[in-house]
Amino acid sequence: MKELNDGKPRKIKSVRPYSFTLEEDTTNFGTYVKGGIVTQVKQPRVLNFKPLRAALKDPGDFLLSDFSKFDRPPLLHIAFQALDRFICEIGRFPVARSEEDAQKFISIAGNINECLGEGGVEDINPKLLTHFAFGARAVLNPMAAMFGGIVGQEVVKACSGKFHPLFQISVFGSKLQKNLEDAKVFIVGSGALGCEFLKNVALMGVSCGSQGKLTITDDDVIEKSNLSRQFLFRDWNIGQAKSTVAASAAVSINPQLKIEALQNRVGPETEFVFNDDFWENLTVVINALDNVDARLYVDQRCLYFQKPLLESGTLGAKCNTQMVIPHLTENYGASRDPPEKQAPMCTVHSFPHNIDHCLTWARSEFEGLLEKTPAEVNAYLSNPSEYATAMRNAADAQAKDNLERILQCLEQEKCETFQDCVTWARLRFEDYFVNRVKQLTFTFPEDATTSTGAPFWSAPKRFPRPLQFSTTDPSHLQFIMAASILRAETFGIPVPDWVKNTKMLAKAVEKVIVPDFQPKEGVKIETIETDERATSLSTGSVDDAAVINELLFKLERCRNNLPSGFRMKPIQFEKDDDTNYHMDLIAGLANMRARNYSIPEVDKLKAKFIAGRIIPAIATSTAMATGLVCLELYKVLDGAHKVEDYRNTFANLALPLFSMAEPVPPKVMKHRDMSWTVWDRWILRGNPTVRELIQWLKDKGLNAYSISYGSCLLFNNVFPRHKERLDKKVVDVAREIAKEDLPPYRSHLDVVVACEDDEDNDINIPQISIYYR
Amino acid sequence: MDGEELTEQETALYDRQIRVWGADAQRRLSKSHILVCGMKGTVAEFCKNIVLAGVGSVTLVDDRIVADESLSANFLILPHENHYNGKTLAEVCCDSLKEFNHMVHVAVETGDISTFGVEFFEKFDAVIISCCSLGKKKLINRKCRKLSKRVAFYTVECRGSCGEMFVDLLDYKYSKKKLEETIECQIEYPSFEEAISVPWRALPRRVSKLYFAMRVIEQFEDVEGRNPGETTIADLPGVLKLRKELCETNSLDESQIPDALLERLLTDTREFPPVCAIIGGILGQEVIKAISGKGDPLKNFFFFDAMDGKGLIEDISGPSTRS
Repeated sequence: MKELNDGKPRKIKSVRPYSFTLEEDTTNFGTYVKGGIVTQVKQPRVLNFKPLRAALKDPGDFLLSDFSKFDRPPLLHIAFQALDRFICEIGRFPVARSEEDAQKFISIAGNINECLGEGGVEDINPKLLTHFAFGARAVLNPMAAMFGGIVGQEVVKACSGKFHPLFQISVFGSKLQKNLEDAKVFIVGSGALGCEFLKNVALMGVSCGSQGKLTITDDDVIEKSNLSRQFLFRDWNIGQAKSTVAASAAVSINPQLKIEALQNRVGPETEFVFNDDFWENLTVVINALDNVDARLYVDQRCLYFQKPLLESGTLGAKCNTQMVIPHLTENYGASRDPPEKQAPMCTVHSFPHNIDHCLTWARSEFEGLLEKTPAEVNAYLSNPSEYATAMRNAADAQAKDNLERILQCLEQEKCETFQDCVTWARLRFEDYFVNRVKQLTFTFPEDATTSTGAPFWSAPKRFPRPLQFSTTDPSHLQFIMAASILRAETFGIPVPDWVKNTKMLAKAVEKVIVPDFQPKEGVKIETIETDERATSLSTGSVDDAAVINELLFKLERCRNNLPSGFRMKPIQFEKDDDTNYHMDLIAGLANMRARNYSIPEVDKLKAKFIAGRIIPAIATSTAMATGLVCLELYKVLDGAHKVEDYRNTFANLALPLFSMAEPVPPKVMKHRDMSWTVWDRWILRGNPTVRELIQWLKDKGLNAYSISYGSCLLFNNVFPRHKERLDKKVVDVAREIAKEDLPPYRSHLDVVVACEDDEDNDINIPQISIYYR
Repeated sequence: MDGEELTEQETALYDRQIRVWGADAQRRLSKSHILVCGMKGTVAEFCKNIVLAGVGSVTLVDDRIVADESLSANFLILPHENHYNGKTLAEVCCDSLKEFNHMVHVAVETGDISTFGVEFFEKFDAVIISCCSLGKKKLINRKCRKLSKRVAFYTVECRGSCGEMFVDLLDYKYSKKKLEETIECQIEYPSFEEAISVPWRALPRRVSKLYFAMRVIEQFEDVEGRNPGETTIADLPGVLKLRKELCETNSLDESQIPDALLERLLTDTREFPPVCAIIGGILGQEVIKAISGKGDPLKNFFFFDAMDGKGLIEDISGPSTRS
């Protein structure tokens, strides 16, 4: 069917994963032999736009019952008339919270109602009127409205004036306002989300009271690309700690804010900073993080210390919020997204079929050439004898590989002048884009077949063709430029100015003698069929040991020829510096490879996006996410809300779509008449022995077979020698095995016990806190 | 791709967002001019978002003198008296906004916006109106529509926990990606006046109660000659009376506009920071969409109520412009 190779767009129908039908008569076409790559062409067409109505079902309707009481305008009219009369008679508003004034007010209202006769109301509802009197001095609380319940319990009162003008007219009930002011809040992260949160909490008056405390931590410093949405930062803050700059900006929004800025990453390694006391004192934790691992860690801490965690994240125009409330909702880690798909290694190494594969390869080559190998060279040079011993002891393929790379770097490919670097770059080009392709197509010719007889080069595999280096191709020269400059950097060789002059560079490249390449027989190349075997690490052999000794001998000789104190400079990939040639090299590597495989190339910006694994981000979705979280923060700080009062959100501003849902309650585990969730912990007092702990569980119908403390196994019934631990105190076993003293302020330790019921079903029980003093 | 390339400085600063909407959209943004009238908390949030996004210029109109009250939800006004003493809202906000992004030209225009001639609006690509009377909104919308070029028109009002946003993009063409295909789309928008004069019985059922409630309050303020938000609970009887009239004319059941909701809207005149952040975020994104031509724009009303956390899009159009 060579007729199809004319490259014209064709209409197709019945598209299936592996086939489609052409919408034309092909009876006169030749026979289909094999192969062919089809690209989808986008033909613009005009459509009538249908509106997206995001009419969302209300999950809760929780407020109506509370508000039914207020649905009584006649009573309110009476109340206002009564208020007028009260002011006339007494000459002032009822004093907030004054029972006496409230009683007086109610009696006035009662009189008015009686005078109305038929037009009056049946029940003047003294309770409501009391609230009315309590709150008469203030503008009716708008926000209290949000919390249904609060209106009934706590009525607005003008704030006492210890605040800044900003909050003098408080919009909140006094109890809630006080809760906000005295809240001990921990904001984890001071990036885009963190900045928005700080602005919001400053405006809301959170942590602005004498008891209040806001802790914000971030170990990152400010860089240029942050400024487009992390609005508390300015140009002159670049290089400064994010948390410190953000904290002082927040104080300028509200000088009452009690804030402390830290520069610690939150994780197991900083538990001396964020210790038990710190966590126990918190009221609420707000995550403003950019990665899942840190989120999971904070989630575990909040779970352990039973603290509410307000979680949010953005991706481009999308944002989501998730409320984690002790005992009411599941924790963040309870539901997880499936891990990201990764291309198999053989696809990346030899059979790429899209630009992502090429970029993944480019990035890994970059790291190998410019970071790992120089670092390995330095490791060897800083302590040759120790390094040699380590390699001899390992005596495996990995060790051999490392030594070969070091030797290559210091012997055959050693660079002393910039011209050496150009030579290296030119030979790299030849190796990557010519020789390797020749070898691959030699091992697997175009007409090769698999063991089942099918054509080897069938979709999605693309048949590669070697490139022909040419100094007239600007992309070839750019590759040489970036590669030689970075190579020079690793060897500490100064970069001459002429490198940026294409003519001069071309001349330098033309000097390079490129040896001919002959493909070899019997070269192993991983394919999808062999991929699995490749992952099992090859073990050391006698041969390896001999080769390693040989390599070490050669290396020793090389080392003696090096200037004393010679070290290489490993280069760490940094995507955000446009002048460092890192992205130029990666884009060059990826695009040249794409050219080998007839894959469309990408520009530097796109390359940076994919290779840098950059998360796209905009200010608007961040602002929205934090606004939504802060609405929930009111509910958390107000306390005593039910799960159906809370909202998780998913929004996509590009669509636009807004959807809300009640948080999911935690999974309830049941055993006999007991039930528990991930939030529960069992407590066992009286410093028990291991046997007593097991018996205690036995009494609940649970057969414990394994007890662990952190990463230490304290007891497992499969090990006979563990039997002698049965009559020791749990805490003593823990001290002995974990080889660490328990902190003096601690009076309990938490153990995880694996249990079965009498039918040998595993039962997931809560952590057990064992009190030993 | 038309127009000059982005500068190196722009590419570095806007890197993360260029990854969302592309270099072409960023170029269009940096050449756009925005007019904003009425500097309250929601509009402050909006301005922050578009200044950070890197529009060409933002012009602020609000001659009201900064009062202590203005501080409550507007983070652009710092609570040092010497920061705002005697200055107008537009001036103080302008000073703060300038610092967010030096590449954006932020300026103040003084005077009553309703007296500005049609040609004044021609300088802009989007006009955002807040804290203005019904009459002013209609007038400015009409002026924008008279121009030969398309000037996107938005109104936004927040009353406590409730927010309303209106969008008029006239006859709007844009492209969007669906799966792998690029589709050209076209939407016709009614003017503000046309939209709010669509008879209520002609509207689809289940239109947000907030739509009706906002119209009642808006009319009330208009009749009484007040600015948005200049209401108290004492106005409730008058508002209830107006509701009755409007519901009768439109044959709508009065229960569609609950008393409790009207009460909240009358008394909740103060803005509420998280709601400002939410509405300001959405409005920001809508303006960015309209300028960049990327993504489905909202048609034509958006409502948010923090009380139930719901965000609703309503298409209020006459038969000619109903999609």
